[in-house]
Amino acid sequence: MNKLFFFLLFVPAFCVAQKNSDPTPEEISEAKILKIQYPNDDLVLLESKDYVTFDLNNDTHQVSVKHQINEELLNISSRTDIQKHIFYDGQSEITNFGLKYRNNKTAYFKVNDEAYTVEEYFFNDARVKYASVDFPVQGYKYYFEATKNIFDIKYFTSLYFTDSYPINKKQITLVVPKWLNLEIKEMNFEGFQISKTSTFDEKQNADIITYSVSGLDAVYKEEQSPGPSYIYPHLLILAKSYTDGGERFTLFNETKDLYNWYKSLVDSMADDPSAIKEKVAELTANAKTDEEKIKNIYYWIQDNIRYIAFEDGLAGFKPDECQNVFKKRYGDCKGMANLTKQMLIEAGFDARLTWLGTKHIAYDYSTPSLSVDNHMICTVFYDGKKIFLDGTEKFNPFGEYAERIQGKQVMIENGESYILETVPVVAPEKNKETHVFNAKINNNALEGNVSLTYSGESRASFLYVFNNLRTEMKNEALEYYLKRADRNMMVDNIETSDLENRDDQLSIDFNLKQDNAVSSFDDEIYINLDYNQEYGKWLFNERNTDYEFAHKEYLSSEINLELPEGYKITELPKGIDVNTKNYKIFVDFELTDNVLHYKKVFVMKDAVVKKSNFKEWNETIKNLQSIYNQQIILVKD
Amino acid sequence: MFKNILALTFFALFSIIITAQSKKDLEKQEEIKNLVWNDEDPYKNVMDIPENWKNESAVFLVKNIKYIYNRPGNSIEYSKIERDRIILLDQAALTEYSELKYTEGNVFYREMSRVTNTFYLGVKVIKPNGKEIEIDVNQESVSNNDEKKIAIPSLEKGDIIDYYFYTNTIVGENDLYQYKAVENTIGDTYPIVKFEFSLETEDDFFINFNTYNGAPKLQQTVVPTKKDKKRVYSFNAENVERNDFPRWFFPLMELPSYKFQVLYARSGKYEKKAYAFIPEDVNTVKTNVSKEEIFNLYEDKFRPYGDLGDVERFLKKKTFSTNEEKVKEVFYYIRHAYFTNYVEAFVMDESNIMYPFELYGKNPIIFNNEVDFVRFFTAFLKDNKIDYEIIIGTKRYNGAIKDLLMEGNISFILKVNTEKPVYIEYFDPYATPNQISPLLENTDAYTLKVVDRKHIEDIETIKLPSSTYKENSSTEKTELTIAPDFSGISINRSFSYKGQTKIDEQKNILMYYDYVYEDHAKYETEPILDRVRNKKDQEKYKKEYAALLKKLKDKQQQTIKERTAGEYNLKIEDYSFKILKNGRFGKEDSFEYEEEFTIGNDLIKTAGKNYILDIGKILVSQIDLSTKEKGRTNNIYMSYPRSFNYQIIVNIPDGYSVSGLENLTSNVENETGGFTSKASIEGNKLVVDIQKFYKHNYEPNSNWQKMVAFLEAASQFTQSKILLKKE
Repeated sequence: MNKLFFFLLFVPAFCVAQKNSDPTPEEISEAKILKIQYPNDDLVLLESKDYVTFDLNNDTHQVSVKHQINEELLNISSRTDIQKHIFYDGQSEITNFGLKYRNNKTAYFKVNDEAYTVEEYFFNDARVKYASVDFPVQGYKYYFEATKNIFDIKYFTSLYFTDSYPINKKQITLVVPKWLNLEIKEMNFEGFQISKTSTFDEKQNADIITYSVSGLDAVYKEEQSPGPSYIYPHLLILAKSYTDGGERFTLFNETKDLYNWYKSLVDSMADDPSAIKEKVAELTANAKTDEEKIKNIYYWIQDNIRYIAFEDGLAGFKPDECQNVFKKRYGDCKGMANLTKQMLIEAGFDARLTWLGTKHIAYDYSTPSLSVDNHMICTVFYDGKKIFLDGTEKFNPFGEYAERIQGKQVMIENGESYILETVPVVAPEKNKETHVFNAKINNNALEGNVSLTYSGESRASFLYVFNNLRTEMKNEALEYYLKRADRNMMVDNIETSDLENRDDQLSIDFNLKQDNAVSSFDDEIYINLDYNQEYGKWLFNERNTDYEFAHKEYLSSEINLELPEGYKITELPKGIDVNTKNYKIFVDFELTDNVLHYKKVFVMKDAVVKKSNFKEWNETIKNLQSIYNQQIILVKD
Repeated sequence: MFKNILALTFFALFSIIITAQSKKDLEKQEEIKNLVWNDEDPYKNVMDIPENWKNESAVFLVKNIKYIYNRPGNSIEYSKIERDRIILLDQAALTEYSELKYTEGNVFYREMSRVTNTFYLGVKVIKPNGKEIEIDVNQESVSNNDEKKIAIPSLEKGDIIDYYFYTNTIVGENDLYQYKAVENTIGDTYPIVKFEFSLETEDDFFINFNTYNGAPKLQQTVVPTKKDKKRVYSFNAENVERNDFPRWFFPLMELPSYKFQVLYARSGKYEKKAYAFIPEDVNTVKTNVSKEEIFNLYEDKFRPYGDLGDVERFLKKKTFSTNEEKVKEVFYYIRHAYFTNYVEAFVMDESNIMYPFELYGKNPIIFNNEVDFVRFFTAFLKDNKIDYEIIIGTKRYNGAIKDLLMEGNISFILKVNTEKPVYIEYFDPYATPNQISPLLENTDAYTLKVVDRKHIEDIETIKLPSSTYKENSSTEKTELTIAPDFSGISINRSFSYKGQTKIDEQKNILMYYDYVYEDHAKYETEPILDRVRNKKDQEKYKKEYAALLKKLKDKQQQTIKERTAGEYNLKIEDYSFKILKNGRFGKEDSFEYEEEFTIGNDLIKTAGKNYILDIGKILVSQIDLSTKEKGRTNNIYMSYPRSFNYQIIVNIPDGYSVSGLENLTSNVENETGGFTSKASIEGNKLVVDIQKFYKHNYEPNSNWQKMVAFLEAASQFTQSKILLKKE
């Protein structure tokens, strides 16, 4: 009989709705109107208020933050089941979590409290409190309230106006006491009508700052989007200093203070380089140059230290000692950066820890805040240059940088001070991928030799995927990849360069037979020339955010078709030549000496298609689609 | 036999998690460790792998599995220790073993009996130079909710990971306890150099055990003495290849495997009470179950029993021309009265709209298992003086009935001996008489002859009926209308399913609300909202239920839309679907629905002023065999014989004619099945008729190339194109 329980998939809530909780006709019609405005959402926050106050803990000498949340939730769909949740961690607590019906009577939902696990961390101290809440009909309403206390203000870095639901009216109030020097940076306000009021409350001896805004969309659930700090309006909270008993205590007043705190954590580490001595000697023994020594160490770390992250309290900021990471053969970015540093020092180089925010974060070190960075690498001072080594990368050659750190400001340790530097930006040519197919017609097939090459990040991602396959599957998988999983393609005589080499250009040559590419009707031959049709499906129709590529793609493709004797081409498709600030798309057809040369070049110059360019991008892609859709027609001479 | 529906909601399992690690616990951990890794361990220094496995991802140097059943004091104890020593040869294997997850022990009460579960893990990493690093699991592991996990330190490509996990369950006082059956292949995801299996028991544990498909036989290696009641049985295997699971495959039919089940019975009294197949005496291992044993076990178990009040009231007003008709109608009645009648109640409860169960009287009848249903139905047959037999079969993936080892692998079918026999299996909302599980079709089975509709008097072997590919049919009609500017195609598809194919499709498409109202109307029972007498409550529930139904229907539409889009591997728009016929009353009663949607110009290529239509792509869900699959060496185990009839109609755009009809003709047929297609022009329509059929549910490997022939023909058809030529 248990089968019956599978009829419904949603999680049951723990209370049966109250009698006087039914929506009024006004609420129902409001829900209906909002549903027209937000057809893809189920709930709207009619009101959402954040009320933030600060307090000084005399025992710990820490400024604590009390963040109160009040929301009015309206169901605009037929029925909605959600898990209302709030996150916290080792640096915070939830002291209040509850829901009320529209008549203000308490709704008793079971509140769960669980460790919150995410893919990227093996272990973290994040926790979630949640209740499974059902909204039985359209127009149904709950009031939600919660209080979160953050023990130390340095972990309270930002407040976002947006939520996972659309918000009708949003209000953020900060009560900033005079003893606290707080800077509030208004981020991404452009395009939003956010009003601000500020009053002084004598009783509290505090400034009361209130921001209000109406009609906010829910946060966009789109892949390959820029990080939220680029898109959504938010407040950056910079706690500079506080005064207690007439004495002024500095928090993160300037970048130097942030560095000092990081430095204090680094100074508290007890690295024991004796553990790595032998390994370093082994790795450098046969190296002919200094560069080779660095490479050997850097590649050994990429290949042998597994990325496993523990984000537990201070461990989220303080690197694990080199001997531990070395012994465990795993670590997070900080552990890997520190091991790289210690091994290089052991080998006689000047290597230093380096903090940075990846491309995901919009800020740089002009803002002294823990929200500025999320990553750590190692900088080696070599040959008068600073070279960045990111042990978490796989198959990354010495001196090449991943897209996610390119152009980002880094903070390099330098004793009592620090050095700010920028990771070089690499030209798309570095990531060039080429494809050449020299084809002939053989009955209904195109047949010939294909040459592929990969460099830079296109090579790194190929090598990473390939080397993570099970050995006995590798040949089959490579063939499957070259065939594009298409039943019409037959691939043989595959020859590759060394598929473990991350430094040299990667190349793959093979013979390809592409069945069913040629059809004959009456006396004409129709050829479907392009089996790859790159970017052919890349229309951005319902997208709200920029599209970010994993790296700056540069693809050059050539199909050279030898025409059978006695045939000629009736009409060549028109090419494309679009070259904008962000991308270049070029397609050309040319007939010389009975060979049709079909060339394509795609360059994603900054690894992004901007939302503002979607219209022109889509037009280009539609042109491209129409080329892909056209058959090459051969008729008898 | 019948269970109060309320009891279901109050069923609870109390669980207390033990967190503290006692000294006793640590000692026990040490004891288990010494049991696995000790000086006598013959694999202590084994590091080499056979030459032919050097290109594998990883290799088990040894896989040792030990089951121990014993009885300390009044309790009974079960332990399993699995020790694996694996050499990790590539990055994929390293990633696989980089992190391990497990659940720690706990204590709970089941039916008033205390159950203690314990779990220990031991891990060693062995470097290529032979250096051993023992991992302190208690120290290194972290907890996340109820789960523990450990990132294995010091592990690199080329290392050996040598680990064991120990699972132990102690059940408090019990006179009779049947352990869960174990059915496994010897092989694993990596090849195994040495496989060792042992099973240790003592008095009062009864064993059914056998190995299959060329696996070594179980040997008794320790015989009990007066002083020591311990018995040990074991078998070993060497050089076991990695498991491979091709399409259409039953692993336990072909791969070396073992099956067993252990039962504890305190004394002779409980042995009799066990109601299970157990060996005559505790010193023998039972390797299969004979016809006679089945007879003895079920002679008693299937005594007709049930409260027939509802059925009698149903029959009162009715007359039937034949007993066959009567049996079928009663089956459908029961299917509603004890199943579909309650579905809405469960939905209401799950979604918190109301507490519904009090609306259904005090003791509604719900069947808890197949035996309950069989006893109830036979009670009706007995009452109506209709003869029947009980058929005992086993599903095809378990092997032949003559090799039956465990009761859990038995399926029951009722054969009612009316004018034409009616076969009835346990029901679900779609079950109809004469439609038995495809996994039982055409298998040997035993029939228990029932005399006087009361006593089982004899048992004989029979062959269960088989459906034909013509009976298990799907008919799919797809009509394409191309937009005048060739920018897209609107598609209308209608489906009609019969036989076994129908059951699968009903489960995929139908939701409960598609059929419960049909049943309520037919049997004049009240839908749930009509049962609510209080007008105000009724009004409230009605609104909430309507909101829920809307949500469920939207979701259903979305699911079916995604399924269709997935079949074409294209984006589809303007989707709608409609169910035309539920097909829940009889094997011949077809399930029918239709859908409409549009696609873009993905299947249309421009060719000058003409167009090429990838018409073959309309024949979706065909199989593309890989080179490896074409060289298959296993036999072929399919679900059931089946046929697919497709008709593709293209409305030829005005001003165009069709070339390339000859590309659409195909004709491959042999003893395994076939694929045929032909095309014609009828007025302004291109009509393509296609048949694809699999004649049997099983083919020996020697017939594989014949199957490949028609599967390839179908796959090739998907590539066919026609030219729409501007006139």
